[in-house]
Order: sequence, then structure tokens, then C-alpha cells
Amino acid sequence: MSKMGEEILKAVKINKSFGITHAVKDVTVSFYKGEIHGLIGENGSGKSTLMSMLTGIYSIGSGEFILEGKKLNVKNQVEANRNGVSIIVQEMGTLSGLTVAENIFLGNEDQFVKFGIKNAAAMNRKAQALLDQYGFHHIHASTMIDNYDFEDRKLIEIVKATYFNPKILVVDETTTTLSQAGRDELYKHMKRLKKLGSTVIFISHDLEEVIRMTDRITILRDGELIDTVQSSDVTEDDLKRLMVGRELSGRYYRTDYGEPVSKEVVLSAKNVSVPGQLRNISFDLHKGEILGIGGLSECGMHEVGKAVFGASYDRTGEVALADGTHIDSIPTAIKHNIAYVSKDRDNESLVINDSIRDNICLTSMDRLSKHHIILNKKLDQFANRYAKIVSVKMVGVGQFVSDLSGGNKQKVALARWIGKDSDILVLDSPTRGIDVKVKADIYALMSDMKKQGKSTIVISEEILELLGMCDRILVMKEGAFSGEFKRDPALTEEDFIAKMV
Amino acid sequence: MTEQNQKKSLGARYSEFMDKPIARDVLPIIGFLIILVLFAILTHGKIIQPFNVRLLLSQTYVLMIAATGVFLIMTMGCLDFSQGSMLGIASIVICYLSAYNIFLAILGGIVTGGAIGAINGFFHVKRKIPSFIVTICTMYLFRGLCAYLTTNSPVYAVGNVYQYNTETVKLCLTIGLLLIIFLVYHFTKLGYSLKAIGAGETASRFAGIKVQKVKWLIYIVAGMITGFAAFINVIKVGSVTSTGGNMLETEILIALVLGGMPISGGAMVRYINIIAGVLTYKVLSAGLNMMGLATEMQQLIEGVVFLIVVALFSDRKSLKVIK
Repeated sequence: MSKMGEEILKAVKINKSFGITHAVKDVTVSFYKGEIHGLIGENGSGKSTLMSMLTGIYSIGSGEFILEGKKLNVKNQVEANRNGVSIIVQEMGTLSGLTVAENIFLGNEDQFVKFGIKNAAAMNRKAQALLDQYGFHHIHASTMIDNYDFEDRKLIEIVKATYFNPKILVVDETTTTLSQAGRDELYKHMKRLKKLGSTVIFISHDLEEVIRMTDRITILRDGELIDTVQSSDVTEDDLKRLMVGRELSGRYYRTDYGEPVSKEVVLSAKNVSVPGQLRNISFDLHKGEILGIGGLSECGMHEVGKAVFGASYDRTGEVALADGTHIDSIPTAIKHNIAYVSKDRDNESLVINDSIRDNICLTSMDRLSKHHIILNKKLDQFANRYAKIVSVKMVGVGQFVSDLSGGNKQKVALARWIGKDSDILVLDSPTRGIDVKVKADIYALMSDMKKQGKSTIVISEEILELLGMCDRILVMKEGAFSGEFKRDPALTEEDFIAKMV
Repeated sequence: MTEQNQKKSLGARYSEFMDKPIARDVLPIIGFLIILVLFAILTHGKIIQPFNVRLLLSQTYVLMIAATGVFLIMTMGCLDFSQGSMLGIASIVICYLSAYNIFLAILGGIVTGGAIGAINGFFHVKRKIPSFIVTICTMYLFRGLCAYLTTNSPVYAVGNVYQYNTETVKLCLTIGLLLIIFLVYHFTKLGYSLKAIGAGETASRFAGIKVQKVKWLIYIVAGMITGFAAFINVIKVGSVTSTGGNMLETEILIALVLGGMPISGGAMVRYINIIAGVLTYKVLSAGLNMMGLATEMQQLIEGVVFLIVVALFSDRKSLKVIK
């Protein structure tokens, strides 16, 4: 197939500002028919903003998109769909309170309406036919979407965004939230659309995946277009250099092997069960240890973090500290210096509609108050101090967390717990949707914590991250542990996957 | 097309401005001053004559106190429509008890308010029913009870309660309460917890805030504050009829929103919302009254102003479902 296809979409001098942040600067780029076009850059480089303007999630600041010779300026996603442009977003893109079928045909219900009455049965039939055609037999069209988990809802979004064979499909960092099986489904439909002559714009932080999947790659940095390259001509290191604008130091994961871990147990879980999630799991966490928990996204591993933090509903069994304290509620966990960073950054880790200051100080209020009185000045100092330690990119601590990019949000979440001087850190998917630079910062932070004798539990779907950072890894399958690995340079992904599935 | 672009940028500029903390600090006061100056002109200075100012103030205390409690509730992103009937019931209790001892009467009022607040809190927190549904139900319930208790004749307080009805007493009590709540709101962990819950309940839970406990506590406290407001009401009026406290809940809501309070609560809330809001509302309604407008016309104008202010001050980011 020829690499230079016919131009289908062109972005011309696109700009967008949010307050003082100039998120997208004069970006001009062409997309060809029948190509998968990668779009990469660090957090806050403007990729998502650019695509949000294309698909009507944001209004266009200035400049224009030209689709098949005609100017495209849509006001919302429904209108974008009508023009043959669809998007699968990074976070939850389906609406609660509606059925699966209603979500799939959102804004496109007219085909089922006769004399002003919606034929729900016909809609469900058609939706079910689509779901079956995609091979998602376990999803039922007439069921409320709320009954499905994140992964299934993403699959439904794939159907919603691709069933009408759009001319342009945008996939915005979707793969990081999906399991391998889910990713394969997504890849399949990206390739299918490519074959039909459509264009797929693919945003991902997984550079290996980007090179493997795409024909060409466009790199953005600080809102500016840096270059568009042929995927076959570049390596991951080339891309990293283009994204960051300088050579990255070699240190990424830990390099030490064979150092003994203390025998001292700081936390132990015994026979912990959570209905539908965990079945009778027990483990010990040692002083200064980085313990990894891995598996498929639905294996229950994310619940382990909540169970340890006292946040699970209906948990049985016990989680106890070395001194015998039982951890049964979040306030007790926090009081005994356990920290938890959730996978769900926007809803659980951070109060996003609140300031950086309040977010960092919230768990340390007792320490910051004197005779129950809290002074604003003290909070400012505290927040500034810890925001600086993790180097949050911000205007000031009064800025709202909702204005920050994913990586910076994660830094705020970590600053909160470093400020609390936590001894046990539970990090669920700490680098999900985060660029290489911030990733390296987070790994360095984990190593620092280890050096200070603090213990960490890392729950992650990224096997390489677990292999690179952990002293010991527990593998989970269907709510129980299915294997255990000690840190070893000879350990490979394959060893790991064998225990996962 | 160009016109549309201009409109957009104006809208964008407006929302940018509203995102700045300073806007939320200053606008409520500016709003109040505009309304005050406007009515000073429209009523040819009548509204700022000492006599009228005093009259205006004497009508403000009950609303100001009760609004303080609802302010705390709304900061958490909840609502309370039962305030009026709560004030009615608490006033009845105070009238009964005033025959024995005035302090017992105050205490009785506060306990009554607190008890009704506890009921609201129970159904909202423990039974997980949205707060506006719960409080609309309790509003009807206690409005009915209030009417039942006053079926035959109004309930009267003993005659000597009027001795407390001086501007000094009422002004001191109101300022005292405002000051206490201000201190709690700005300088304690509880105050920060309220704002955090309003900004994001789940995230607050994960930050170790005992969300359920705080919510229930605040409903009880708001009830107690309204019970206290009932005392001011009784010493002023001396009796309770079946309509005692009628429409108070709506007045509170309108006043707070006029003061720039975002209905979703959260981090955009400012303490000044209470004071600026209540004063603006009172000046607005007294001003319209002095201009000799009919009641229907007053309500109509108040409704329009109310709508405009809600539109200006809502925190759209918090209302959005999808990022």
C-alpha cells in the first residue's frame, strides 16, 4: 500500500488558550486516508485539547479543520458523529442512567422514532446485533450501563464510536485503561477502519504500541507541533527525545538486584474477602519493600488497595499493622500513616474542583492545626513546600486541580501523602496515562521512599513497571493470588502472563 | 459569523473572570452596593433614612441567622427546604416554654430545631435519599404539624418576652452567631471538610473525611441555628400562627444565591455570600415595596433577578457530568 494517501483532514493554524495557558499553538497538520496516525507528547502538550476541538468537546480557539475540502466546526460530539468524526475518550465516555443501547445510539435515536414515539425494542435489537457482531456477547443492549465495569463500558464505547464506519476515529489514551484483551479488540477495529479507507488518530503514551500500530506519528510539545515522522523510521528513543526536547537520562526503573529485604513485617492481610472482588487473600508487607500486585484488570487487584486502606465495602478478614492495630476504616488508615492513591484519579484520589492547596493539606489538617485552629498561611506554606518537592507545574497553590494535566494531578496526589509523612504507600496504577518524564519522577520517588525505609504496594497493569520496580510481585487471577515472583533480572513478561491467565 | 466569534470570546472572558478567586470575593459586595445605590435613587433616598434602615435591620435578623445554617448545608452541596416549618415548630415550643423560664425557652427552641435537623440528616445520610426530597417531605410534615398546633388560636408567648426585643440584643446575638460560624468555617478542620465534601464527596471520603458524620452533624447544627432564630422571631412577634415561618426556606435560598453562592457548593463558596446575600435580598424587597409596587409585581421582579444571579454564579464545572 502506498504511504502517501490522499489528504482527508487538515488542521490549519489551530490555537486554543485556557486562561493564561496557551494549550495549542498554531498547529497545522495533515491526515491521510487509510492511515493510523499517532499523536504523542507529554502530559499538557496539547494532544487531547487538539482532538477535543476536532470532535466538538471544546470550541475552536482560532484556525480551522478542513475535512474533505469542507470546513468542519462542530459544537458537540453528536454533530461530530454526523460529520463522520468520532472519539473514544480517555476517561468514562458513556452516560450513567441510560441503557447500553441508548448510549450506543445517543443523539442518533431518530432512526427508531416513528410518529414521535421511540421504538425501544427495535433500538435494543439493533444494538444487540451490533454487540454480537463485535463479539461482545456478554453485554446486553437493554441493561443499564451502570451494571458494567469500566472495561466493558470502554468496549461499548468502541461499538458506539465505530459502528457507523466514521471517516475519522480519534482514540485518546484509551489503551492504558484496557486489559490486553480489550486492547486487541480496539486494535482490530482500528485496523478494520483503516482498511475501509478511514483515518484513525491514535493518542497513547505507550511508545512501543504507537510505533507498532501507526503509519505516521506527529509529536507535540508545549502545544506546538514538533514534527511528523514515518513510524517505520523511528525508535522509541527518537520519539522520547522529540517529545521531551532533550536526551532523557538512562535511569528509569531501579537497577539494583539481589539486595535483601528486611524481615520486619509492617502490615499483614489475613483472609481478606470482598464480595465479587477478593477471595480469601493473605499477604505480608515488609519494611522498605516495594510489593507489586499484577494481573488482568478484572482480577480484583484494584480492590486490594481499597481493602488495605479500609475503603472496601463489606470487607471480611483482617488487615493489621505490626503493632496489632486493625485497619477497618479510611480515617484509621490515614491516622496510622497509610497512603492510598487510587486508579480513579479524578473521583477518588483528588477533589478536582478544589485548589491544589486544599488537596495537599486535607489529610494533614490535624498536624497543621494548633488547638483546633487552622491558619491559611500555614496551609499555603505546607502546600507550597510539598508541591515543590514533587515539582508540580502550576500557577500557584490556589489553582484548581481540575486545570492541571494528568501527570500534574498525580503529582498533587503524591504530594499530599508525602506531606502526611506516610509509612505505607498503596499506589494503584500510579503511572496510568502519564508521560515518560513524570513517570521517571514517580519511579525515582518510589526508590526514595524505599531508601527511607517506607513500604510500598504497587498495583499495576503494566508488567514491565512491576518487573522494573518491585522487590516481590504477587500475581492475581479471579480474586486470589496465583503466583509470586522475587525480584530477578531474568524474570520476563512471559513468566508473568502464564500466571495471569 | 464575526459577531458570533465576538460573543464567544466575551463568554470565554466572562468564565475566565469567574474562575478567579477574587471574582467570588468581590462580586457579592459590588452586587449589594449596586442594588443599594439603585434603590437609594429610585426611592429618592428614602431607603437610607435612619428610620428605614432600622426597620430594615429589624426584619433581617431571623433571615440572617437561619441563612447561616443553610449556608453550611449548601456548602456541602446539599439543600434544606424545611427551614420555614422548622422555625414555626421551634417558635411554638419557645412560646410554650416562655411561661416557665426564658433560658429554658431558648434551649427548647434550639433542641427542637436540632431534632428536626437530625431527622433530615437521618433520611439523607442513612437512607441515602437526596436532601431536597427529604427536606421537602419534612417541610410538608412540619408545616402540617404547625397548622395543627395552631388550629384553634395562635400560640402566644408570655407578655414579658417583649422586654428582650431591643435592637441591641438582636444585633449582638446575630453578630455573635455570625462570628462564631465564621471562625469555625475559616479556621477549623470542620470548615475545610465542608468545602471538600461540596467539591467532591467520594474524594473527600478517600481523604479520610467522615462524610456521613459531618453531614449529619451539619444538619443538626443548622437545625439548632434555626431554632435559635425562632427565639428572635418570638421576641419580635410574640405569637405563632399557622403560617409562622412560611416561605422562609425560599427566602434563604434566594438570599444565598443573590449573595453569589454556587448551588453546587464546594470550593467556590465564600462566607460573604451570607451577609451580602441577605442584605441584598432585604434591600431589594424593601425597595420594591417602598416604590409602591404591588406584591405580585415584586415577586415577579424578584424572580427575574434571582434567575439572572443563578445564571451568573453557578459553578458550571461542578455541574458537568463528563469532563
